[in-house]
Amino acid sequence: MSDNTINIYEKKAAEMTATNIIDPEDVFSKTPGGFLSLDRGGEHYERVRVIRLFPFSDADRFLSIRDHGNGDKEIGIIEDLNAMPEESKKLIKEQLKLSYFTPVIEKIYGIKDEYGYAYFHVLTDKGECKFAISMGSNAVTKLSDTRLIINDVDENRFEIRDVDKLTKKERRMLDLFL
Amino acid sequence: MKDSRLTRKVLDRLKEHEISEKDVLIHSPVDLSLDGNYIKGFIAVTEDKVVVLEADLPRDTVHLFRNAENPEMTPEEDLCEYDVRIYDEDKLAHIRLDVYVGSNVLTGSYEGEDVIIACFTNRYQEQMNVLYRKLKGALHGNELEAEEQSEPEDIEIAEKKNKRTIFGRTLKYFLKYKILVFLLVITYTVNGVINIAWPYLIGKVLFDHVLEKDKAFLDSFGLGENILIALLVVAVVMILVRFTQALSNYLQIFFMARLSSTAIRDIKNDVFDAMSKLSLNFFVNKQTGGLMTRVLSDSDRVRNFFIDGLPMIFVHGITIVSTFIVMFNLNWKMALISCILLPLLVFMTVKLRPGLWILSGKRHRAEKAVSSKANDNLTGARVVKAFGQQDEELKGFEGPTANLKNAEIDIAKLRNRFEILYKMVQEVSGIWIWIVGVFFVLQTHEIELGVLITFVGYVMQLNGPMNFFSWIFRMWADSINSAERLFEIMDAIPEIQEAKDPVRLEKPKGVIELTDVTFGYRVGRPVLKGLNIKINEGEMLGIVGRSGAGKSTLVNLISRLYDVNEGSIKIDGTDIRDLSLTDLRRNVAMVSQDTYIFMGSVAKNIAYGNENASRANIIRAAKLASAHEFISNLPDGYDTIIGASGKDLSGGEKQRISIARAILADPKILILDEATASVDTQTEKAIQYSLNYLVKGRTTLSIAHRLSTLRNADRLIVIDGGRIVEEGTEEELRKIDGGIYKTLLDLQNKSLSLQTEF
Repeated sequence: MSDNTINIYEKKAAEMTATNIIDPEDVFSKTPGGFLSLDRGGEHYERVRVIRLFPFSDADRFLSIRDHGNGDKEIGIIEDLNAMPEESKKLIKEQLKLSYFTPVIEKIYGIKDEYGYAYFHVLTDKGECKFAISMGSNAVTKLSDTRLIINDVDENRFEIRDVDKLTKKERRMLDLFL
Repeated sequence: MKDSRLTRKVLDRLKEHEISEKDVLIHSPVDLSLDGNYIKGFIAVTEDKVVVLEADLPRDTVHLFRNAENPEMTPEEDLCEYDVRIYDEDKLAHIRLDVYVGSNVLTGSYEGEDVIIACFTNRYQEQMNVLYRKLKGALHGNELEAEEQSEPEDIEIAEKKNKRTIFGRTLKYFLKYKILVFLLVITYTVNGVINIAWPYLIGKVLFDHVLEKDKAFLDSFGLGENILIALLVVAVVMILVRFTQALSNYLQIFFMARLSSTAIRDIKNDVFDAMSKLSLNFFVNKQTGGLMTRVLSDSDRVRNFFIDGLPMIFVHGITIVSTFIVMFNLNWKMALISCILLPLLVFMTVKLRPGLWILSGKRHRAEKAVSSKANDNLTGARVVKAFGQQDEELKGFEGPTANLKNAEIDIAKLRNRFEILYKMVQEVSGIWIWIVGVFFVLQTHEIELGVLITFVGYVMQLNGPMNFFSWIFRMWADSINSAERLFEIMDAIPEIQEAKDPVRLEKPKGVIELTDVTFGYRVGRPVLKGLNIKINEGEMLGIVGRSGAGKSTLVNLISRLYDVNEGSIKIDGTDIRDLSLTDLRRNVAMVSQDTYIFMGSVAKNIAYGNENASRANIIRAAKLASAHEFISNLPDGYDTIIGASGKDLSGGEKQRISIARAILADPKILILDEATASVDTQTEKAIQYSLNYLVKGRTTLSIAHRLSTLRNADRLIVIDGGRIVEEGTEEELRKIDGGIYKTLLDLQNKSLSLQTEF
């Protein structure tokens, strides 16, 4: 058995367990093709992927930056997006907006519950939507007493930020899920 | 789906770029812009081009998702102005489909630069996946074939049965028992007739005819002057009527219990029968526990309606109609006046009941939350105590219980209000009839006292049926929903289906051959990619790989718990999809990392699937699995009850029992999926020894993290990223420099030597 391979593995293990922090000095930029790239510690990552580690409870903190396509290996973690330079922040937010595409429901026109499905007709920040959810599965996730995530039959996400901000009539329609 | 067709506008735009409809080999809708807004768009692939058409939508567009509604737009009505992007396929490479949380992105490199080709929501995942795979194949030089676009239908909508068919289908379960139904109808009829006759008897007959000494009436019965006898006859008739009613009530309940329990038994049997045929996927996707309670509560709800509700609709319906007829015949003015308040009652129930239902639904959910929280806590008691979290858990319990309390109070409040109001209106209407009636009796002499009493009786009698109709429709809807869910299970087509004329597997040799096997649990996420391997008769094949590499998936495919997406698996030259399932399962035994122990004795557990095994054979199998020692030390030996409510065994003990089960089953093909993962080293050695005996003459597939377990394997394969990356004998693999097997082996040896140093 060669000690060399073992050392390599131990190094790999150390790499795997280490937490790298991405600080404001690391530069994010946009490639001509519209992808997010990162220059960090002399290394250039052509395409990076941003993952929210706490997508619900702390959406703008602790973002995992991954080397896209390279086994999606983690390059590092951004502890606080707001501490990043404006330009980086803007680019990262753009990426997040697309990958966590979740229309926010602003108004509920109607919810019909029939044959194990509930049919929603709502107004979101992306326009008016009609979608169906299955009643059998856990299509509605309660993030808190007032915040809901709704998954339609294709697992498209919709969010209700604050149930209390809805009118009484809308809340009554939602009662089924509260 | 209508909206997946290319619209006229799109075809026009394509024509501008000299692409005709026939050139489009495959297409799919897309619906997102790069900056995350809904758009309307298509991606069309031709022989040599990929065309993306995108158009902004007017702000007031309603975005329709699957099952939401049938999109009404026909291809001719599309008014969008499409922007067109064209990619030449020879300049396009490395296309990828990235799946994000709420969106999917098709990317690729065009003329050496990475570009985003199109974005779409999960709505079009299926169609885009097909397109992506075809396109990828084409870019790799495969001929791109025109796709017979099998339109992914909105199945639920297409198959959505209307209420009437579900109702009829459920009814059939009951109508099957003709005699019982017939007897029930008789009892209901008797009851209905008595209900009509009773007020008439005590009102009109008793007061107006008998007590008023109505000569003509009495004469018609030949009783003439003798009022006492007439009174006696009335009394006896009244008693007889009541007695008949009681008897018919008794019989009704008796027949009903009979009918409902047999019919519901039939439904449940059908459901469980269907469930057992369903493939593993069904149980993975729906939580099994929820499924069970759902089946039970759903069938209860169906029974409630069909037994308590349905017959009563007729009984009460007839009662209402005939009561009105009788009332109007007696005196139409009086009838009109007495009924004046009835609409108010109907209005009240219609208005107030829904609130009550919503609240009771709320209470039900609050109850569920409390019980699941309690359940959580009790099962996790060990962890709670170990982390000293009792107080916190108690606090966590306060929320749900407070919710439950509030729900209870709300419901009590509303119910109180409802009932008081309802009773009040009822009382008022009663008093109202008396007042008006007395006026009629005393002032106008239009009616007699008896008629008045009959009227009061009828109006009071109407209350029940009226009330009934205020909630029966809700019950009907509920039970149809429940019935539909039950039928959904019954009608679910098992993904694993036996072939029509299954090939029997008699005297199998145990040759397994995998050709280009591709499989994934979810669309577009293959776990195994194009696997090819042949396992010979009696060979022992060791499977090595990182966790999540697809090892367990591979063996699940061989025992046909899932069907492959592409390629084929053959046993003795026959595709396993053509084999009889019973034969296949009998000849393939699996000892897996998830052991399963049934409620029952140790002996029964070992003899599972082999009920006729002799005691001697059971003991021999247990000995071979090194289980005999600990079993003998159990107080009840092989008769010890284990499983859910029985004695709890350790992980290693359970594993040894499942090994014994496999030994006893004596299969031609044996699959060991981490069979010795949770036993100590010494026991492992013993089991190793017995496994060596076990694998003789069998084709064996063994998955193990501890490579020492695989020392006896004839051949090893290493799976990584869904592919076989290394293959050969142990010795051969050990020589591959930088190979996965070698490094894994080095690492394990090192940790082993570390252990011995200490």
